[in-house]
Amino acid sequence: MPENDLVVVQNLRKTYGATVAVDDVSLTVREGEIFGILGPNGAGKTTTVESIAGLRSPDAGTVRVIGLDPRTRRTEITSLIGVQLQASELPEKIRAREALELYASFYPSPRDPAELLEQLGLTEVRETQFAKLSGGQKQRLSIALALIGNPRVAILDELTTGLDPQARRDTWELVRQIRDAGVTIILVTHFMEEAEYLCDRIAIIDKGRVVALDTLAGLVDAARSEQRITFRLPAELPDNAILTSLPAVRTLTREQDRFIATGTDELLVAVVTELAGRGLAPIDLHTEHTTLDDAFLALAGRNFEGVER
Amino acid sequence: MSQTLALTRIETKLFVREWSGLFFVFALPLGLLTIFSLLGGNDGSDGIPVSFLPSMAIGIGIGILGLGTLPMMLAGYREKGVLRRLSTTPVRPVKLLIAQLLLHLAAAALVIVLILGVGSLFFDAALPGSPLRFTVAALLYCVSQLALGLLIGGLVPTAKAASIVGNVLLFPSMFFAGVWTPGDLMPESIRWLRDVTPMGAGMSSLQDSWSGGWPDGVHVIAMLAVTAVSIGVAARFFRWE
Repeated sequence: MPENDLVVVQNLRKTYGATVAVDDVSLTVREGEIFGILGPNGAGKTTTVESIAGLRSPDAGTVRVIGLDPRTRRTEITSLIGVQLQASELPEKIRAREALELYASFYPSPRDPAELLEQLGLTEVRETQFAKLSGGQKQRLSIALALIGNPRVAILDELTTGLDPQARRDTWELVRQIRDAGVTIILVTHFMEEAEYLCDRIAIIDKGRVVALDTLAGLVDAARSEQRITFRLPAELPDNAILTSLPAVRTLTREQDRFIATGTDELLVAVVTELAGRGLAPIDLHTEHTTLDDAFLALAGRNFEGVER
Repeated sequence: MSQTLALTRIETKLFVREWSGLFFVFALPLGLLTIFSLLGGNDGSDGIPVSFLPSMAIGIGIGILGLGTLPMMLAGYREKGVLRRLSTTPVRPVKLLIAQLLLHLAAAALVIVLILGVGSLFFDAALPGSPLRFTVAALLYCVSQLALGLLIGGLVPTAKAASIVGNVLLFPSMFFAGVWTPGDLMPESIRWLRDVTPMGAGMSSLQDSWSGGWPDGVHVIAMLAVTAVSIGVAARFFRWE
């Protein structure tokens, strides 16, 4: 394991009854980066980060945070990871300052609550009860609570959902500052714009699987160079491996009698040549060039809620 | 330990900020004591023992703590993900339970001090003949009610559900404890219920301590049984989220 891999997830699988929340997810998060987990609702993003935080026990696969198993090393892990969760609230009548001071008392070497309130622009509402804070203020308090224990890694789950555009931009700036201060960040989001703006590397998750994992530039390049063709055949294809074994072919799927192949820019020539050599000249052949935005949709596999442009 | 103390401190503040809870826990028993003392002149001349009124007021106050505020607090915390959030910190969520129990025990002690204090200062009411036996009875009763509270709070999904279940239990409890039918006024055929329901057993034990008696064996067994069963089931099925 390279020394700067802070979080390592291998072949994670988690089901709830008959529902497969996470099918097969592998990823590594490096020290000092903002790592994005991007995907549509229900893709398995939250289950993945909850497993990293040790809130869920995987059905299969392993999770290691700085070499530790989050399920068995609760004391160390909870001190190393700061978590901002979806659908987690504070008691209505607790004041912002009280909440931070209380959480500070849980950790071995916490940050100074007053300083953190200042950094997050909450000093003016420090004596305000949680229920009376605005959406943005609640979210900032929630981030403050994730940072109060002086964590090496902060998990931020859908932190700008429900915020107005200005509050969202302010929050983004904040996340950058936190990273610049040395905290590695795992950012869960279904906003493409957010991932583009903030993340050093992005894992795109769909239906419980990682469909792409790269830097933003890498994802864009991969999408640009990806070709996609669809065709029908005059007779049955004896074996899919005839095509999938070609180096230019990345995926081959079939919808009724229609084949859909994706791969490098050699794809068209490679497929047509191979098929023609077997007397299976494709009919009704289309090539599709994806735009950059479509590429994200294509990588994520289906309709992508929340895409804003 | 310092974590438990910090939690207890904050939980106490939050408890005090909840006006409706405070009213039912403290003002209702105190109001009952005041009204009936003024109306009836709690001197035993009407055949109702002088121990009845303070025992009833304390019984109701502690009953509301166990069937009302404790389960609503716990269920609300689970419903809103407060317990879940806590489990991502180095604190074990069980410390929040301990903090809540300490807080409710303290509130129960305050109810007792208020009722005995106001009764004796303003209405010249007799104090329990045996402070030791009174304390034993009060502790047994308190623990059984709070255990019931843990059970309800641990199992029901929402604060609203906790309040419904709590109320559904509270009113029959008060009825069978003989709040409206003290002493011989309760029909003979259902008096046994007074001995085996926790509030009935608790109030009877408190009353016994006025004349210097230990709690009756049946009452002790009833309260211990409720405690053991509640804690056993709660420990087995308590849901953190």
